[in-house]
Amino acid sequence: MARWALVSGLQGDLALYEAIQRDLRQLGRVDTLFVLGDLIGPDRDANALLDRLQDPRRGELAPQCIYGWWEDQLLAERGYRGERRADPLRQQFGQAAVEALQEAVDPGHLAWLAALQFGFIELDCALLHGSSADVGDCLGPESSPLLLLDRLTRMDVNRLFTARSGEQFCVELAGGGIASTVRDLAGERQLQQVVPQRKVIGIGGGLRYSLYDPGSDRIAFRSVGQQPGSRGRGFA
Amino acid sequence: MAHAVISCLHANLAALEAVLSDIDQRAITTITCLGDLVGYGPQPNEVVNLVRERSIPSCQGCWDEDIIEGLNACECSYPSQLAERRGHQAHQWTAEQLSEENKAFLASLPMTLRRDRLLFVHGSPNSQHEYLLPDMDAFAALERVQTADADTLFCGHTHRPYVRELRDGVIRVRVQTPADPQAAAEREMALPVRRIVNAGSVGEPRHGNTHATYVIHDEATGNVEIREVPYDVERTCRAIVEVGLPPVFAWRLRHGFEYAERADDASHVCER
Repeated sequence: MARWALVSGLQGDLALYEAIQRDLRQLGRVDTLFVLGDLIGPDRDANALLDRLQDPRRGELAPQCIYGWWEDQLLAERGYRGERRADPLRQQFGQAAVEALQEAVDPGHLAWLAALQFGFIELDCALLHGSSADVGDCLGPESSPLLLLDRLTRMDVNRLFTARSGEQFCVELAGGGIASTVRDLAGERQLQQVVPQRKVIGIGGGLRYSLYDPGSDRIAFRSVGQQPGSRGRGFA
Repeated sequence: MAHAVISCLHANLAALEAVLSDIDQRAITTITCLGDLVGYGPQPNEVVNLVRERSIPSCQGCWDEDIIEGLNACECSYPSQLAERRGHQAHQWTAEQLSEENKAFLASLPMTLRRDRLLFVHGSPNSQHEYLLPDMDAFAALERVQTADADTLFCGHTHRPYVRELRDGVIRVRVQTPADPQAAAEREMALPVRRIVNAGSVGEPRHGNTHATYVIHDEATGNVEIREVPYDVERTCRAIVEVGLPPVFAWRLRHGFEYAERADDASHVCER
């Protein structure tokens, strides 16, 4: 089975996207490219990248894109999210960032961005920008295991790939359990549950991206600029 | 001190009067309501008026929200299009009947109430529409209580009363990062003991009996008593038919279970 490449946080950087495509060509044996959101950002004009994502060049892997936090903010500000506006962006980075984000994306791209999905379910994996709770949910290696398990449980998947934190990590749920007693008008019963063997994987962002082999469950963390011959930093 | 928690009154005046009488007989003066004052039943104004007269602190339920905001959930928990149509009919009738003053009261209700480490919500801390069922995934149940920074979570919405204690929980994880991929750091999280108390339903019980249900919580001992209170079901059923609401609402009250409207996937939370 061929590998997946998981990319996020391009933020309008076409040169970075081309570098990742070159890296993937040199690596080979990658058949699917997922771009987990944050295609755009306030720091640079994103139109050339958006054109390329929608119209890949010959020989490039065609990207499967979902929306991320920056797209969600733009779409909210542009009226594609009902009454909601880009208030989190405004509070975090100020009005100037809201305006810069709007200037970075031609209105002609809005319909395409608005049609992007929240996430993909492939095999037993959820591919998301944030988490099953929210596109802005920031999961990292230090996140509460209870929270991570909850995010996996909400989508009933064994692997959850997330990009929001920009970090590369793999948290494997490796054991444990919980007991509970339920009492109702019919009586009392004891329940026991064990922690399922599941993983939450941070794919990184920008220069850092990840490769995943669904057949062997191996993840390799890469950074563009790595030597083509290097094997990446993989885990079994 | 003992306090009573009631939920899901659903415009059923006879049931509410019986439950309040049962509470009064026990000389309990602190009552908390977990919402859904209206919907399905024939006396929305009377029930809201009684809650206001008694100054019962209440959270906003999903029906209370929908009456104020309009139907913005997709109602995808309905098991059939017929059931959905009946729900919409009840929504429209209730919205027409409810006084502006009572609508303003429902709009003013908070999503949650908190007393020290006790948290009161309608569905879950996440959503008025989320069902916390008695047998749901224990880790997910604990996450709802823990993330809300509570020891005991009081909820309703399922119309089935229960008390669930979650204990002896532990999760072990192995964490790997690119910094040192070969050396996985292991850590263990001991989970705290937490409780979920579902108050059942005053106005539309679905636990297999026609009696109204509510709970009494003793803060000193931690004991929770699930109360069943008989009331004049026929009085409400007659009123449902007289005001022109779908007769199936009366039929299911007589049976004490939502045979005709039971959701196929009660864990579904509408994100619309």
